[in-house]
Amino acid sequence: MDFDLTPEQQLLRDSVAALGRRFGHSYYVDKAKAGEHTDELWAEAAKLGYLGVGVPTEYGGGGGGITELAIVSEELAAAGCPLLLIVVSPAIAATVIARHGTPEQRTAYLPGFADGTLKCCFAITEPDAGSNFHRLATVARRDGDDYVLSGRKVFISGVDESAYVLVVARMADERSGRLQPALFVVPTDAPGLSTTKIDMEIVSPENQYMLFLDDVRVPADALVGGSVDAGLPALFSGLNPERITVAAMGIGTARYALERASSYVAGRSVWGRPVGSHQGVAHPLAHAAVQVELARLMIAKAAHLYDAGRDVEAGVAANMAKYASSEAAVLAVDTAIQVHGGNGMTTEYGVATLMGGVRAGRIAPVSREMILNFVAQHVLGQEKSY
Amino acid sequence: MKIVVLVKQVPDSGAERNLRSDDNTVDRGSANNVINEMDEYAIEEALSIQEKHGGEVVVLTMGPSGATESIRKALSMGPDSAVHVADDALHGSCAVATSKVLAAAIGQLDADLIICGAESTDGRVQVMPHMIAERLGIAALTGARKLTVDGSTLTIERQTEEGYEVVTASTPAVVSVWDTINEPRYPSFKGIMAAKKKPLETKSLADLGVDASEVGFDGATSTVVEHSKRPPRQAGNKVADSGDGGVQLVQYLSSEKFV
Repeated sequence: MDFDLTPEQQLLRDSVAALGRRFGHSYYVDKAKAGEHTDELWAEAAKLGYLGVGVPTEYGGGGGGITELAIVSEELAAAGCPLLLIVVSPAIAATVIARHGTPEQRTAYLPGFADGTLKCCFAITEPDAGSNFHRLATVARRDGDDYVLSGRKVFISGVDESAYVLVVARMADERSGRLQPALFVVPTDAPGLSTTKIDMEIVSPENQYMLFLDDVRVPADALVGGSVDAGLPALFSGLNPERITVAAMGIGTARYALERASSYVAGRSVWGRPVGSHQGVAHPLAHAAVQVELARLMIAKAAHLYDAGRDVEAGVAANMAKYASSEAAVLAVDTAIQVHGGNGMTTEYGVATLMGGVRAGRIAPVSREMILNFVAQHVLGQEKSY
Repeated sequence: MKIVVLVKQVPDSGAERNLRSDDNTVDRGSANNVINEMDEYAIEEALSIQEKHGGEVVVLTMGPSGATESIRKALSMGPDSAVHVADDALHGSCAVATSKVLAAAIGQLDADLIICGAESTDGRVQVMPHMIAERLGIAALTGARKLTVDGSTLTIERQTEEGYEVVTASTPAVVSVWDTINEPRYPSFKGIMAAKKKPLETKSLADLGVDASEVGFDGATSTVVEHSKRPPRQAGNKVADSGDGGVQLVQYLSSEKFV
């Protein structure tokens, strides 16, 4: 058993961290509050190949895996810049296309994922189905050489800054007539596709949308994998990378909060001693640090299993990592705010700004309750509860 | 144009640094060892010249075997290859001996241009570019904040306290740079993956034709006799403001001759 990163992974970690620090949390917050995107950081990370680390080299990517992408996601967040679109575009969409796209789809999209010039968001969640793909009401039907999509989606991240959206719909299997999940690459400016921004109480430069598909017509080559049979495996292939990179982003945010808190309590002296020398302050921070490190171990394990092609084991580990990360991140940020006293809620000290993001992490992209359902069923062998 | 960049591995200047108690040399064992910060600017300058004028960039490092890690990081930024001078006999070498070894290594590389940081964060003596140039019989353009290459003519703006001086020389020459000269690039992921496949040649003193007696403790022109820790910081004066805080502050500043 080896807990060390390779020298290349370590250098990637150091390099991404240095880039992230150059931008920093105030850049992220300023962009969020101005209603702008972190385009400069995205472009720089893209140019350096950090966003395309996992794309195969034959399409111009780095040829790494989810381990490397998780490093990128974590280190940017640890510098105060958690980029949710990393979870969506390179982690989900690029993986789905790389593993299940047709050769034409790979050629069309992967070079853009490799150099980060292409952003593709992901639309699965629906108002009446959540993320339960058996209940999705968005349907696709064949019409001549085209497919026509109808339905609505909710909590879709970054539609406004993406050229494409990977839509999960259901379509009738030609042989059995049963509805199966099918994934379509849909241009975000396709006729019939409209959006409504959802106002969120999260300090984030990335926005959430309702997505309405009103007879959106796409050509046959928009169907991922070229067949309805590709739908389910394609969908599953995107979910583990999503959980692992979102867990990495959450734990990076937690590290940022703990670093800010540690430096604050070490530097603030009241009655002659730094407040961090008091156990009432130090123990909660130490407790959070333990939870954060445990979650990081699980993230590393999940990424390792995924990159080794052990998808079933990776599924369990990725869910556990996501659960552990979101719990640890909420704890770390909450503790960091508490030890700052009143300063914890100011904009200046830059920790309260993290609260909405980590709190949302207990709900999205998969809620802690759904993960506990998964663990109860698949690890503990209990009957499915829903 | 063949450019040799001098890269030194040093203890991270942002962390605690120590000298060894047994032989008074820099304690590398307990330190987080990194590329000397100023050398990253030298690498960046070499790479941007290569991008404009073509040619080859070679990293040259003298240091213990652990310096390989910093050499790989340097290569991940883009240089083509590296030479690592490593020899147990080098331990304890002074600046004069170091310049002899580096000059011998540069002599084997047939360089048109040697670029280095203006100083290292551990030694901070700023003599290496001058000493190497002297040994090679070539010009030293030191302390550059700007470097222009026009054929075989090199022009720098030498940063001074008051402004800058324009200094010109012909290749081959040594140029040392300050951190005002550029913004070093971050290693790209492709650069990181390519670095491990780039040629890294290790050379011993014998390979360079330098006798072991001329370097290390035996050949040192200076000796560190003793060292002690910097005294702990004294507690500062705290001014409690009970209406006369401003007066007290001015009195303090005046007594220290700040105002």
